[in-house]
Amino acid sequence: MAQTSQRLLDPHFVSKLARLDLRARLVVDGFLTGLHKSPYHGFSVEFAEHRQYMPGDPLRHLDWKVLAKSDRKYLKQYEEETNLRATLLLDTSASMSYSSHGLSKLDYARQLAASLAYLMLRQNDAVGMFAFASGRGELIPPRSTPSHLRQLLVLLDRLEAAGGTDFASSLHALAERVKQRGLVVILSDLLDDPERIAGAIHHFRHRKHEVLVFHVLDPQEITFQFEREATYIDLESGDRVTTRPQELGEDYRTRVRGWMDRIRQFCVEKQADYVSVTTDTPYDRALLEYLSKRARLL
Amino acid sequence: MSSFSFLNPGFLWALPLASIPILIHLLSKRRLPEIRFPTIMFLRALEPREIRRIRLRELLLLVLRTLALILIICGFARPSVEPKGATTRAAAAVAVILDDSESMGALDEVARPRIEGARERGLAIVDAARAGDEVAITTTTGPDAPLANRSGDRVRLERTVRQIGTRWLPGAMEQALERARRFLGRSALKARELYVIGDFQATNFTPAARAKVALISRSGNRVYLLPVVASRVPNHAIEDLDPELRPGPQGKGLEMRARLVNHADAPTDRLAVRARRGDALIGGGDVSLLADEARWASLPIDWRAGEAAAVAVDSKGKAPVVVESDVDALSGDDRRYAVLGAPRRLRVLRIVESRGGVPPPRFVALALDPAQDGSGGYAVETGTPASLLGINHGRYDVVILEDIASLSGDAETRLRSFLREGGGIVVALGPHADLDYYGRKLFPGMIDLAVDGTERAAEGQSFEIRARAPAHPILDGLSLTVGSPLTQSKLTALARGRTTTPRAEAVVATTGGLPVIVAAPQVAVFLGSLSDDWGDLPYSGAFVPLVRGLVDHAARTSSPGSLEKALVGRPPATYLDVSPSGAVAVRGPESYRSQATVVAEGSGFRAVADAPAVVPGFYVFESGAREVATVAVNPDPIESDLKPIPIDSLATGSGSAPRALLTTSSLRSHLRDTRQGRELWLLFLLGATACLAAELVVGTARITAPAARVPAP
Repeated sequence: MAQTSQRLLDPHFVSKLARLDLRARLVVDGFLTGLHKSPYHGFSVEFAEHRQYMPGDPLRHLDWKVLAKSDRKYLKQYEEETNLRATLLLDTSASMSYSSHGLSKLDYARQLAASLAYLMLRQNDAVGMFAFASGRGELIPPRSTPSHLRQLLVLLDRLEAAGGTDFASSLHALAERVKQRGLVVILSDLLDDPERIAGAIHHFRHRKHEVLVFHVLDPQEITFQFEREATYIDLESGDRVTTRPQELGEDYRTRVRGWMDRIRQFCVEKQADYVSVTTDTPYDRALLEYLSKRARLL
Repeated sequence: MSSFSFLNPGFLWALPLASIPILIHLLSKRRLPEIRFPTIMFLRALEPREIRRIRLRELLLLVLRTLALILIICGFARPSVEPKGATTRAAAAVAVILDDSESMGALDEVARPRIEGARERGLAIVDAARAGDEVAITTTTGPDAPLANRSGDRVRLERTVRQIGTRWLPGAMEQALERARRFLGRSALKARELYVIGDFQATNFTPAARAKVALISRSGNRVYLLPVVASRVPNHAIEDLDPELRPGPQGKGLEMRARLVNHADAPTDRLAVRARRGDALIGGGDVSLLADEARWASLPIDWRAGEAAAVAVDSKGKAPVVVESDVDALSGDDRRYAVLGAPRRLRVLRIVESRGGVPPPRFVALALDPAQDGSGGYAVETGTPASLLGINHGRYDVVILEDIASLSGDAETRLRSFLREGGGIVVALGPHADLDYYGRKLFPGMIDLAVDGTERAAEGQSFEIRARAPAHPILDGLSLTVGSPLTQSKLTALARGRTTTPRAEAVVATTGGLPVIVAAPQVAVFLGSLSDDWGDLPYSGAFVPLVRGLVDHAARTSSPGSLEKALVGRPPATYLDVSPSGAVAVRGPESYRSQATVVAEGSGFRAVADAPAVVPGFYVFESGAREVATVAVNPDPIESDLKPIPIDSLATGSGSAPRALLTTSSLRSHLRDTRQGRELWLLFLLGATACLAAELVVGTARITAPAARVPAP
């Protein structure tokens, strides 16, 4: 069972499934199955059902009456209330189309967004989505109805990576539009000026939003382990650079690490959570980060 | 002015191959894969500096690879430069003198016969010969018969050089140089070279030979000296053998005398000398020699030990004997051949005169045969001048005239005939001798000695006599050096004599210069009395060895074997007592066969082979199926001293001085330089290797950017 759940969290495995809704359900179900000891599993104010106590479960949910009557330990489970408004910000710039091993950053971000939306809606949170690229963006306002998931998935399905990243402008515009404070989840490769990214995050923070940044990168973007000399063409600008990876690799990696550290540092400074994921990172890590954030917020 | 060229220019057609790295570089640039990548900005941040550095390095690698290929191809094309004085563009007259004398059979520093090193050098010279070159090859043992003359046929020249081997002959360097000089002088070619290959033995390079080298060098020829050895190699030799065996110490047994010489700057170890008669060892001994010492060594001989051997003894009781010593650098002179025999008992006829009924004194008879039984090696008979009428050489070996006044005409004639037959004569003058008769009649034609009176010592004085000739056989029994007194006895009178030609040698003389003993072949004259008439000589210890020395001298020099020493390179010759029954043939070692010419000489016959002996050994004269004589032929001992001359002594001089090329590799290098130009292929290949090594270093070194500020993407 555990092995099955692990497989369901593997991005490559999941990407083989055709339907996004099915994929999202599989991911979340698999994730929750693996989280049976997790303190984040659906606890709310309205009673839903009992389940057997497991070591590690908090005693505050123990049904003392059942214990007194039957001398058996059961936990009371509740239907969770909707008290979180989350907006998923998905970068659809051309750079997100890069894939070194079959799964592009956009695919990964798309799948992760679907899974988060499914999870959120399952927990009765309101989920909205803003897909943006340079000079364009599409917003679905947050709702908590189960049918809302379909609307989100339709949007995700038809997203295509194109255009440049005008990350800061898009986010500043969105920050102005989203009045009610909530959770802002950014899924992007953040290929923009770190200072401007920091400005956008600061804008959200100024509006009292909580910000969770999923920095989605392809492993090759970090390691740059190409074999031979090649001409590298920028996905967004079309710039060309001919070079030998084995000679520049170390310097490249040093610079990428510095860049990521810088973004992480900005996020810390702006009190935003920063999670670096690569397209081969299992989804549970992102989901755990989300639940951790949610637990802190509630 | 030196010029640059390629000896294998055909390889230069491969030069376009050097463009392979450039083509590969261009093709690889053309076919570079294109990768769409999102984070180009990080690469672009590196590009201005690192990319430039990488491109620079790529360019450097490209240059190194291309240069390496160019150098390799050019290296195979054998680049060369022509140094000054090269004969690359003109044919050359080349005279090669290759020393093939006996000493070239000695081992060099690497225990290889010197002739091999010489051949190696000769082949190198021949190998460098080109079309149009005139090459002459001469050996030192046959300068009058050059092996090649004006030949440019390299194959034939090589075969000629390969066939050169050492011969048992001394080198005639002067004649070989003269031959080479004439060859070069006759050549119409401008470039003329002389190569002298050999061990540069000091005995071969006489002052005349050195002058010849200088002359050739001054005549516009380039002279190259190619020594195969650098220093003197110690060598001992058996230089000579006494053909007569002698009685041993105290008259017991026999001993043989061998002359040994040590050509070295240090004493020898103990040398073992052995004498063999056939397969049987008949004697020998150990001898140690000082540095550069030469001396006669007496070796005990057991003559009978060889009688069982299958080597026959001839009619005179002589048999072939081989004497050997330990082998050293030159093995040829550590063996010597001789035909030896037990000492003959000399048959001596004393001619005396009775005066006044007094029997003549018997001092001489007692000195020669004290026991009167012939055991001392002499059979002495006594006669009067009339006895001379019946003498012949078959009956007596030596006749002694003891203070005879004069001889009758018939006796004198018979005595001269006896002398021609090979007999020996000892004449002792005295108070009764008619000096005028001797000086005017008997001595002319017999010995070049003039006698004109009697010299008497002052009253109460005596003549002091001293040895004059060094180590003369007459004085063999006396331990004397030149100038030392012969005897302490008192001689009060002497016949006053004077030698008239160098053929008559004054062996002993007075301090005033009067000759006392004069020797000539077959004749010895004592110008005093062998009795006690003119002093007390017969009572001195010197008397017996002196008388025996006089008789031995007369007998030895008169023996039929007294032909000049038989050496390799000369026709073997012998003396026959009787006329051979038919044609005389000579056989010798290594299938030697020759006919001999026989001519009458004295009472016997002299037989001389028609062909020279080519190797040492025994040469047997045969008439019909019968052996009539055996001759021992030995090499000339002049080749034994392996001391080279200092090459510098030849190489110095004015103008184009002879140049020494000490090793084969230096010769090859010289030939390459002068014939083909100085080859640079090794330099080119080293350069290519350096380029490839640099390419390896540059190619594997990673270009690292300094830790820089991380720029914003």
